[in-house]
Amino acid sequence: MRTFLRQVRALVKLSFIELWRRNDIFAMFVLALALMVPLSMSTPFGAKGATRYLDEAALLLVWAYSLFISLGTGARLFPPEFESRTVYTLLAKPISRGALLVGKFAGAVAASWSALAFFYAMFAVASLMRGGFGYGADFVQAFVLHLAFSALAVAVSLLGSLLVTPSANLTLSSIALVAMFFFGRRLPAYADTVSAPLSWLVRAAYAVAPHAEFFDMRQRVVHGWGGVEWTVFLAVLGYAAFYVVALLSLSAAVLKRKKL
Amino acid sequence: MSSSANAVDICCVSRTFGSVKAVDGLSLTLAPGEVMGFLGTNGAGKTTTIKMVLGLIPPTEGVVSVFGGDPSRASVRARIGYMPEIAYYYPYLDARELLSFYGGICGLDPGVVKRRTGELLEAVGLAEAAKRPLKTYSKGMLQRAGIAQALLNDPDLLVLDEPFTGLDPLARIHFRELMRSLRAKGKAIFFSSHELGETELLCDKVAIMKQGRCVYQGPVKDIAGDGGTNLERLFLKKLEDAK
Repeated sequence: MRTFLRQVRALVKLSFIELWRRNDIFAMFVLALALMVPLSMSTPFGAKGATRYLDEAALLLVWAYSLFISLGTGARLFPPEFESRTVYTLLAKPISRGALLVGKFAGAVAASWSALAFFYAMFAVASLMRGGFGYGADFVQAFVLHLAFSALAVAVSLLGSLLVTPSANLTLSSIALVAMFFFGRRLPAYADTVSAPLSWLVRAAYAVAPHAEFFDMRQRVVHGWGGVEWTVFLAVLGYAAFYVVALLSLSAAVLKRKKL
Repeated sequence: MSSSANAVDICCVSRTFGSVKAVDGLSLTLAPGEVMGFLGTNGAGKTTTIKMVLGLIPPTEGVVSVFGGDPSRASVRARIGYMPEIAYYYPYLDARELLSFYGGICGLDPGVVKRRTGELLEAVGLAEAAKRPLKTYSKGMLQRAGIAQALLNDPDLLVLDEPFTGLDPLARIHFRELMRSLRAKGKAIFFSSHELGETELLCDKVAIMKQGRCVYQGPVKDIAGDGGTNLERLFLKKLEDAK
């Protein structure tokens, strides 16, 4: 167990170093500034009451950028190892493919979470500068569910990285998750308007694809509707955990059969 | 896993990829404290054999064992150090971070990794460049970083794929001395190479591969130094005979 933990820790550290030494960090600072400046003004653009909509836009940007980081980090976990053949050196060490997968996943999740925490912290700081941080449990729930979604996105792109090319993986993963985020809740209604077999496909997609919209609490936070029931909150976390475990199990099966 | 077993035992091993037989009926042994040069032209089956010794791919037929155990098991690989032919590592890490990373992957105690890192960077001549990112390293420096990572877990068996690639003459001499000192400590060394001169200087025995089959294996002292035969001549003769 101690060996396993040391292996996971080494892989987590590697993912962290990679993320924070790439140019992504500069883009993050620029975006953070872009969020901070308008949000920190009490009457942005001279329009009273506009802050709520700026908050919503800012949180949407946080979603977009964290999705980009999560998918990008997950998608980069294995292809460079195979391309540069460092995977041989890695697997020649006393590490199992399962431990490698878990460590890589944990590293990508930790790196993505650090970026997400940075964004939420910037959002909170901007709100404070405007004259007080008015969010409570709803904000905590939104943040935690966003973390769970980020882990789910990493697991999706990790599986994709073992099956298709990096560009195809990023494109397909982004389309699937963004489509579910915006249109997921409307799929059953859409299925009723089309005939078979398209309606079957839409219903199958609704049943199988991870529902990104379950994790989105922006409206509740921005409009002050309060948090969701804690049982609902825990159920959504369980939903994310189920998908992560299922996706990692599939990834493990693919990695085991991967030709070296 | 027996500690008194041969370092490497390859018994009637074949490996096919589709219709291509990359390794065909190979048998060889390597005892602790021995150095074996694994020679052959490109596509002779050397890298495939190395992958089987490392447990990365299983043989289609036959048995490969390392210290009496199956190298696909992590506990067996804990006794192996491997240096790949093409030494691409993580370009954003420096040499110290690279060794720290591989030390973690080997499950070594952080204190041991720190101590070994200092010793090995000194031994391979990278101590002064230890804090430079690997992307700024020359091919020879990357090769030396590769040697250091292979030795990190103090392995009983070293598997080296083309270890002389990119090394300048001084580094080669240094590397040869390092390998001899490891042999003196009872470590087994199994390496593939196209460098016949280096192989003759370093090895106790050689195996020559051609199109997946072993066409010769024997001690270097039987073929070298008599004025009439040397490894280069033997290599050419065996490849010619195997036509």
